[in-house]
Amino acid sequence: MKRTVDVNIPLGPIHPCFKEPARLKCEAKGERIVGAEVELGYMKKGIERIMKGRPWQEVMFLAERVCGICSVIHNMVFIEAMEQISGISVPPRAAYLRVIANELDRMQSHLLANFSYCYTIEHETLGMYLLDLREQVMDQLERLTGARVTCAYIIPGGVRCDIPRQDKELLKTSLDRIERDLCRYSGMFAEGPMIALRSRGVGILTQEAAQRAHAVGPTARASGIPVDCRLNHPTYRQLGFVPVHRADCDNFARVMVRFDEVFQSIGLIRKCLDLPKGVIRGGGVCKAGETRYSGEAPRGELTYFIKSDEFGRIVEIQIQTPSIMNIEACCHEMIIGADSIADVTSTFVSADPCIACTER
Amino acid sequence: MGLLLIWYLKEFARIEWIKKFLFAKTAPLVTPLHFRGFPEPTGKTCQHALFCMMACPAPGAIEVVHDAGDGWMPRIHKGHCIRCGLCVEACPNGVLKSGRILETMEREGTSLLFSFRIAIDLELCTGCGNCCTACPINKGIDAQMGAGGHSSNDEVIMRVQKGDIVVIHEDKCTGCKTCEVSCPTGAIRIARILEGYQQPVQEGSQ
Repeated sequence: MKRTVDVNIPLGPIHPCFKEPARLKCEAKGERIVGAEVELGYMKKGIERIMKGRPWQEVMFLAERVCGICSVIHNMVFIEAMEQISGISVPPRAAYLRVIANELDRMQSHLLANFSYCYTIEHETLGMYLLDLREQVMDQLERLTGARVTCAYIIPGGVRCDIPRQDKELLKTSLDRIERDLCRYSGMFAEGPMIALRSRGVGILTQEAAQRAHAVGPTARASGIPVDCRLNHPTYRQLGFVPVHRADCDNFARVMVRFDEVFQSIGLIRKCLDLPKGVIRGGGVCKAGETRYSGEAPRGELTYFIKSDEFGRIVEIQIQTPSIMNIEACCHEMIIGADSIADVTSTFVSADPCIACTER
Repeated sequence: MGLLLIWYLKEFARIEWIKKFLFAKTAPLVTPLHFRGFPEPTGKTCQHALFCMMACPAPGAIEVVHDAGDGWMPRIHKGHCIRCGLCVEACPNGVLKSGRILETMEREGTSLLFSFRIAIDLELCTGCGNCCTACPINKGIDAQMGAGGHSSNDEVIMRVQKGDIVVIHEDKCTGCKTCEVSCPTGAIRIARILEGYQQPVQEGSQ
């Protein structure tokens, strides 16, 4: 039976607050939202089909082009899945360098997500501060890998290049500066009374609802569920990684979890900078096999299912990205009961949906 | 109000400020050294190994063509190139450079190694021998190879024996895929296997 509602409000696919096109259809009673549905399919690439029949050196570049914001983790999960299939071991120095690249990528992704949230709640000043900070992180990523976004840094059995000593020093000083600035900005966010009015108690996703919707990543961690795929990763386990989580369940908690994770990433990179000596490429040839491998993307659990032939060419590949679950959690749990349309956009953005990942 | 006016005058009625205001210049855009740009020739002679073309993940981004003289030279098509730098790493002779990749490779002793494997689907193969006669390496070893791919030379990569194709020396394959193109049934496939490799040059190179 169709519910009687006052207005149906479509948001998107083109909307100034959304980074990528998605259509959000809200049913409103007065100004209160009683139901919402998300419509996807505006940027389907069919990238999994393109990957089939190609060797790793081509699929690696396709994998990092699945998503422009979290490209390093796509590369890392794909390569680590191929390594698991072929039984290739990674030298410890390369494993640490991978963590550095991955955490820098996570920092820039979280800063962009928080910028996006600040922009949506009309706090453009803080948003621009964060975007400026993100540029500094991107510069460090470029210095390490040679490119800002599609880094192509990780290859089977190691990484592409080592970090020179002067760059290591520069990364250290840059991290200090970023941490100092971020302390100020996250303080501004945490203590701003107007920000609290727009964020606290808005877009509630309770722990049960998060479990029901299988929310992952910062969205789940802000609802008090300490899930994180990095807990299963051998290098992160060596570094003594403990996930950040909060129990506030609202927009404010989601943004603060991301701020906390940026600080945590800075800590992890500092730990990794005591690099063990040794080679950065162990060598190894990709072989036939079939595996499922998960890694923690900035938005949550990213899973690759890969089947390869005897020469390491991809026969079958499936990518499961975190935003699918988070978008579901967002439109079926968080948005319901929002007090106004302005809260709908801010709640949707606070879940950090990555449409490019979702549709692939 | 008066204080504010004085403050403003103090702040802005300065020669430096007015100069800066009137003759402001944006800092010139400089490509940093570590930026992985489009591959450029270093001036070394291309040996026509074609590894750059084989490693390239972007279709049609690089091709090795005759340069003005007698030799060969890779040509980059900038609209297709994704600046990944694999061609720089795959080239055994250091013909190309991009950003810091070549220096880093020389310092750390890293390289990408190619190996080629020949896979023949015997269900599809008709034993016509087109692949054997098309193969440029076979041609060099046994110029007299017959149209059916028969050869009495044991040094060839592959030949037809009793109606079946037999691969003898897989290690001589250069991965050119000429056989793949000439096969009427698509039975032969060449796998280009790439492997990251490092031969440490000096201890503690970091």
